[in-house]
Amino acid sequence: MTPVPANAQQTSASPSRPALVVSGEGDRRALAGALEISTLVAAENSLKGWSKAGATRQLDIALLDSLDTPGALFLCGLRDRNVGLIGVRAEHRALLDLIYGLELKPIPKVKSVPRWRQLIIQLGKGTHDVRHEVIEIIRFVGRAASWTGNALLHPACLRPASISRHITETGIHALPIIGLMAIMIAIVIGYQGVAQLRPFGGEDYTINLVAVSVLREMGVLITAIMVAGRSGSAFTAEIGVMETREEVDALKVMGIQPMQVLVVPRVIALVITLPLLTFFADVMGLVGGAAIAQFLLDVSPTQYLTRLPQVVDGQDLFVGLVKAPVFAFFIAVIGCMHGLRVTGSAASVGRETTRAVVKSIFLVIVLDAFFSILFEKLGL
Amino acid sequence: MNALTRSHGHAEPILAARDIVNRFGKQVVHDKLSLDVMPGEIIGIAGGSGSGKSVLLKTLTGLHRPDAGDVLLKGKPVQSIGASERASLIGVLFQQGALFSSLTVAQNIMLPLREHTVLPAGQQEQIAAMKLALTGLPADSGIKFPSALSGGMVKRAALARALALDPRILFLDEPTSDLDPIAASGIDALILQLNQILGITVVIVTHDLTTLLNVCGRIAVLVDKTVTVDTADQLMKSDHPWIHDFFHGPRAEGAMKARETSHGN
Repeated sequence: MTPVPANAQQTSASPSRPALVVSGEGDRRALAGALEISTLVAAENSLKGWSKAGATRQLDIALLDSLDTPGALFLCGLRDRNVGLIGVRAEHRALLDLIYGLELKPIPKVKSVPRWRQLIIQLGKGTHDVRHEVIEIIRFVGRAASWTGNALLHPACLRPASISRHITETGIHALPIIGLMAIMIAIVIGYQGVAQLRPFGGEDYTINLVAVSVLREMGVLITAIMVAGRSGSAFTAEIGVMETREEVDALKVMGIQPMQVLVVPRVIALVITLPLLTFFADVMGLVGGAAIAQFLLDVSPTQYLTRLPQVVDGQDLFVGLVKAPVFAFFIAVIGCMHGLRVTGSAASVGRETTRAVVKSIFLVIVLDAFFSILFEKLGL
Repeated sequence: MNALTRSHGHAEPILAARDIVNRFGKQVVHDKLSLDVMPGEIIGIAGGSGSGKSVLLKTLTGLHRPDAGDVLLKGKPVQSIGASERASLIGVLFQQGALFSSLTVAQNIMLPLREHTVLPAGQQEQIAAMKLALTGLPADSGIKFPSALSGGMVKRAALARALALDPRILFLDEPTSDLDPIAASGIDALILQLNQILGITVVIVTHDLTTLLNVCGRIAVLVDKTVTVDTADQLMKSDHPWIHDFFHGPRAEGAMKARETSHGN
């Protein structure tokens, strides 16, 4: 009838672990030792067939030394299947009564949606979200622009201390990394140029390639992407943490506009620093070009300097630099917008920061494409 | 199975701190602090802000290695006990609950079961449902995420998770902070019930005088970089200025009244 032999069965592997001993046969069984979470599987296996059999069965637990809540739950399960528990010690009775008295309901299952429906739902949700997102960006950009314009018209509203702090953090502290990146990018372009132009005997044109692409595109693009990752995310995190600690609400209660004290100084600071950083990146990119010229083309730095004015002019520099304040405005506004969108938990700070960085880098590249088309049409 | 008879017997302490020294830089937080926790008792740890309550709790649970001294858990240094064994001996209710926000409440409770036992999934779920009921939560809160719970429910769910492996010692860090008086009294009653029926030793770090006076058998007061351990009645007679102020302020009077009425019943 049952797989359990009549003699006692030791279920523990190591001697230090608590052990459970199941003994007896027929309708009467006895448990001794420990009925705990670690011996529960053994108890279940030993009594599986037996607990399902009919007739009057009795389980003697007088020799049970220790009993924990999963063990008690197991015994209550047996009791529900008409197994009589005998020899219950006083200390076990309290626990058994407690567990038996609990209103035990299974944890409800979460309804699962089929994969294909999930896909459609996500598509719809995504479209809906994109629409809202676009409206929200336009609205916030408008508000930020109006507040910034207002602050510029009424300089008394400006916060010079705050602006100067943000210029230090977003500008001066970013100099080393941006200089290094500009040199690296110039070297990457230089190597590609030499490799592609050498078969045509035009490797000298590598100097033109590096100088033009750094001044017109690469300098400003690399700087804007770096600043979006470095400072745009910092704006979101700073304002987001203030939002979680109710500091933003405190400002509002005091009659101070968060737009004026949190957003405007950051926007102004970044619009000032990004063109400066871009100019710095341009210079460093040309230095990288000089290194390439020296090592790959045997053109000395003096020769390089005399050639530069022939291949690039002020127009190239202008085309690069004029994009910087526009990129800066959008990076700062997107960063601040996501910071103010943080709600409650710390997890949402992280989520909004990621979104801010992704969105601002995306916007920078889209705007750069627009500028390319615009300059082409203008013949610049 | 009475808590009092056990704590005053001649049993070995289940948790013993011996000459603990903790310092951060030049600031000494604990200086040769010793504390014995007897099996089955409820001991409260009280002290002013910055007196090192949290550091002591971290030291006792083995999360922080003291600069000197030992913490013995069932006679063995807590740092040398294996992770699995320690998890089945110690349960901690953190102040903010520390429920994993990416898991549902039931998954939170089942996590230690999944890591440290070989129980099949169905049985783990049964045990999780039982712990939920034991801590007074409805079964359908099991599928909720922690962010959807109220403060009192977070504490209960975190308590259910701390109890997942039926630990021998339960550490509670400010179990009643941020709760309304009704929810706080509910937690107090739950702690007493768990202690009496499951025989769990409970260490409570709290400011809450009502909890200290109504739930704790003994109170360890952290003053002067060490602890003074005694029953509430003895501590009331202490002439140490901080301890005197702590137990005789206007808030203490209210908690005392509550204690008298609950003892009267």
